[in-house]
This record gives sequence, structure tokens and C-alpha cells, in this order.
Amino acid sequence: MSLCDAEKTFILHGVAENFRSDGRDREGYRPIEIETDIVQHAFGSARLRLANTDILVAVKIEVDTPLPERPFEGKIEFFVDCSANATPDFEGRGGETLAIELSNILASAYKSPKTFNLKKLCILKGKKCWKLYVDILILECGGNLFDAVSLAVKAALFNTKVPLIKSVNIDGDNVELDVSDNVFDCERLDVTNAPVMVTVCKIGDNCVVDPNLAEEQCSVGSIVVAISQEYFSTVTSIGIGSLHAQTLCSSLELGQKVGIRLNEALMDTLSHITSDQDFGFLK
Amino acid sequence: MPVDHKRINGPEESVPYELFARLSGLTSEKAFEQLYKAGKRSDGREFEEHRKIFLKNGAVSQAKGSAYIEMGQTKVIVSVFDPREIPNRSDYSLKGELYCEFKFAPFSCAKRRLHQQDNEEKQYSCIMKKALESAVCLHELPNFQVDIYALVMHNDGSALSAAITAAGVALVEAGVPMYDIITSVTVGIQQGVKLVDPDSLEEQMCQVQFLSEKYQDNNHGLLIISKLHTQEQLCQFYQNGYVSLEVLKSGLEVLSKTCEVIVPLVQKCLIKHITNGIKS
Repeated sequence: MSLCDAEKTFILHGVAENFRSDGRDREGYRPIEIETDIVQHAFGSARLRLANTDILVAVKIEVDTPLPERPFEGKIEFFVDCSANATPDFEGRGGETLAIELSNILASAYKSPKTFNLKKLCILKGKKCWKLYVDILILECGGNLFDAVSLAVKAALFNTKVPLIKSVNIDGDNVELDVSDNVFDCERLDVTNAPVMVTVCKIGDNCVVDPNLAEEQCSVGSIVVAISQEYFSTVTSIGIGSLHAQTLCSSLELGQKVGIRLNEALMDTLSHITSDQDFGFLK
Repeated sequence: MPVDHKRINGPEESVPYELFARLSGLTSEKAFEQLYKAGKRSDGREFEEHRKIFLKNGAVSQAKGSAYIEMGQTKVIVSVFDPREIPNRSDYSLKGELYCEFKFAPFSCAKRRLHQQDNEEKQYSCIMKKALESAVCLHELPNFQVDIYALVMHNDGSALSAAITAAGVALVEAGVPMYDIITSVTVGIQQGVKLVDPDSLEEQMCQVQFLSEKYQDNNHGLLIISKLHTQEQLCQFYQNGYVSLEVLKSGLEVLSKTCEVIVPLVQKCLIKHITNGIKS
């Protein structure tokens, strides 16, 4: 998408007046649609649609050996796949850099034990642990990918059911796991502290959240903040452009404020989802 | 992780022996306690004091521009090559591009690194590219790509910051048009203590959450910024861990101040480069 100067000025003035081109104020999000438990073969899944951005996340669980330097912890890994369906730019290896950036930011945001406790995923110290594979598929790309992906990941992890292990038998070096026969015997993951990401975009003299594609074009610099409770688990600047230290501070404040609200809204919505609801394109 | 099968990768499941030694020795928590009691760091520095820096340009004769930096034990070499046409591109782009490759040498860390870039290195390459893109006048290099390679020969913490600072010098030597001098500093945060330019042990210390009761403060993490000196712009900012807003803000101030300390060093190195050029 390319904009002419007049269009850019229009967006710029709109942001200065706190009335953006789609009627939102600077701290407002576009409507978000979320549904969970939509992939049969996954242990947890979620689909999120934020305006035109469509994300599908599925969590697979496998048994693995813990890293020797972290014998008490399980593992979590993020894979992002930018499907060429989303935009033709992703064709071939086009989406690779974006995919790496997204998965690195997610990994960094989930790294601290305060945000996501990997110790719960340990089965037997130094021998066996659960490994979570979080696969993120970008179906449609309508701006603000970081926020959408983090919300979808959190929803999918909320929905994830870890199989219950009845007993562990150790015979020499062999470890045998006895998984419960009942498929409904499972544990939920604790995601209350899992981070949500907010992209804060500087347009003109002001900062906005949830920029659409046109607004992303007018931005002079943007940062992504991952908020876990009121703490920052990752902050990183994205795209070309630099910020003054003061602007950075004010965008951090804005990001924190919006992130806390966003997290509350998400947790509230997730707790109200019941299993018999019937909607979405995959059901 | 794809593995390069043409090289010797060592036994499939080998583990560095230090792991077994460390379990009985000094844990991060104990190391922090010692450091906190002494009010000084293990190498005699204050908490907010940067290590001594050795910076030299022209380290690689084949490259258009290059720089070698030493910060304590951390040693990084950066080389910049001639701008060339962007490969595999059919359309003409008005702006130039940077290609950054950040690599740890296999022997640079306690654990052996593979020859192929792993995720951490890819992430560091991204951060480095982001920092340098804002410092280079990309519109002066239409349809060209500048290649920047950073190789860490010894990693003793803050390797990324060292690489970015050195890359700035290397770019100047290569004659790439730039807006400003770029400097970068890392700070580690643990229990409200800010450790400027942490070494690898301190970096590790700042990545973990202390479990014992006496440490109530949850703040821990690493902050890295790159700053354009004259314009006072932060062209790159990265934080991980778990940090509150106040700590983040005060950390930012400390980082900005420390960046100013490094600027004269970079300036001196550049002046030396020019005077040498005139003499010869």
C-alpha cells in the first residue's frame, strides 16, 4: 500500500485531533474476534481476527529431555509461518525475516520465569519434560501483527491441556511414563502472567496503539512492548526510525496502560468461552 | 535446528564440563550476594562504570572498512564491504539496504557454538541491522546493499553493544554516508541494582529470578540501547526479562549517560584515522 502526501497529512491531522480515520481515539483498538479449541489434533488452539489480520495458533506437546543446564525446566518453542495467502510478499522466502523477528520476540517475552513458569512442565528432573511447540500461522495480514500474534498465543496456551501423568517408572536409565487413559484427565497451563504485546506507533507528535496499514506507513518510529501484569517482559524497537528518549518514555507509559487493559479484556473473554459455542469458519 | 553435516559437529549429545562444576560452585544468587555486599563488582568496577575500551579501525585489510573492539575480555571484529547491487531483486528500490550478520565464533563462549547461525545470533543480527539502518543515509545508496559482518572472538558479556559501536566506526572508514556517530551500551538489572556493561557472569545473573525470601524485588533483565549522539535519538532499544516502568526509565537514563562517555573514544579513533590518511 502506498499513500500520497495528502492522505498522509489527513492521517497525521486525525491523530493530532485524537480522532483517527476509522473513528477511534489514540488508545483504541479495532474489534477483536477470538475463538478457541478449533483444531482437533492440537492440544490447544485459538484463532484471532483483529480487523483484517487473521492468526491461527495451535499448540502441540511432546516429551523431551530437559537441557543439561536447566534440568528442572520444560521447553517452549515458537514457530511462525507467514503463509503466502496473506500477502504475495511472503511468497518463497519473503516472510522469513518477519517470521524470525516474531518468533524471537515471543521467545524473549516468554523467557523470564515470572511470565511463564517452565518448571511446571518438568516431569522428571534432568530426564523427561514436556516440550510445547507453538505454531503460529498468519492467514491474513492487515497490520499490527505483533499484538494479534501475542493475543492469539496467549489464548491458545490458555486453551492448552497437558496430559496427566499417573506414574513414572524408572528402570536403570529407562524412564517409562504412564499417561492417564482418560482423555479428559488433563491439566491447564497457568497463563495469568503470560505477556501481551502492544505496538506503539509514533505518528506526528503523538503515539497511537493498534495502527492499521495506512497508519503504519505514516509512522516515524515504533516500539513493541510485551506487558506481563504491570511489568515489561520485552521492549524492542521495530522498523526504521529513531525516537527521542522522552518520546520513548511516553510511549512506554502508553504501552503499559493499554497492555494492562488489553490483558484484562482478554482474560475476561477467555474465561467466558464455553465449549459448546458454535462459530467461526472452521467449525 | 538444521545442522551442517559437512562439518565436524562433535558428538551429538556432548555437554560442556563446566556445567557439572558449576552445580557445586558459585550460583548466580551467591555471586550477587557477594557483589552486593562488597558494593563493587568482581573486577573492581563501580556498578555504573563501563569497562575500559580499546577501539581500532582498519583491522581487516581486505575489507573496505573494519574495526576491532575490546571491552574487558570481550573481543569483536567488524568488517564492512563495498556497496553492491541488491542480489536477487528485480525491481529498483530508491533506498539502500543493509545486511548484517552477527556471529559468535565456535570457541567464543563457554558452550561451543555451531558454524550455522542459531536463533540468538539471528536475533542479534536483526537488532544490529535495526540500529545501523537509522544511522546510515540509505537514500544516498539507491538500489545498493552494504554488507556488515560482526564476529565475536571472545564473549565476555555485552558483545552486541560492542559490535554495534565498532560497526559505526567500520562504516565511517568504509566511506558510507552517515547521519551521526552511533554508540551502544548494555545494562543488566537485578534487584534494582544496575550493572553497566555486564560481563558474561553478570549477564547470566540478570537473566534469572532469585528464589530466596530476602529478594522481594522482581526486577531482572537486560537493556540494550544504541544512541545517535548529536541528535540525541535512540535508534534501537531492546529489553528482556521482567522490569517495571520506573526501573526501565532510570535504566534508560543511565544508558544515555554512559553512551556519552563512549562518544569521545569513537571520535578520537575517527580523528586518528583521518590524520593518518592525510599523512600518508
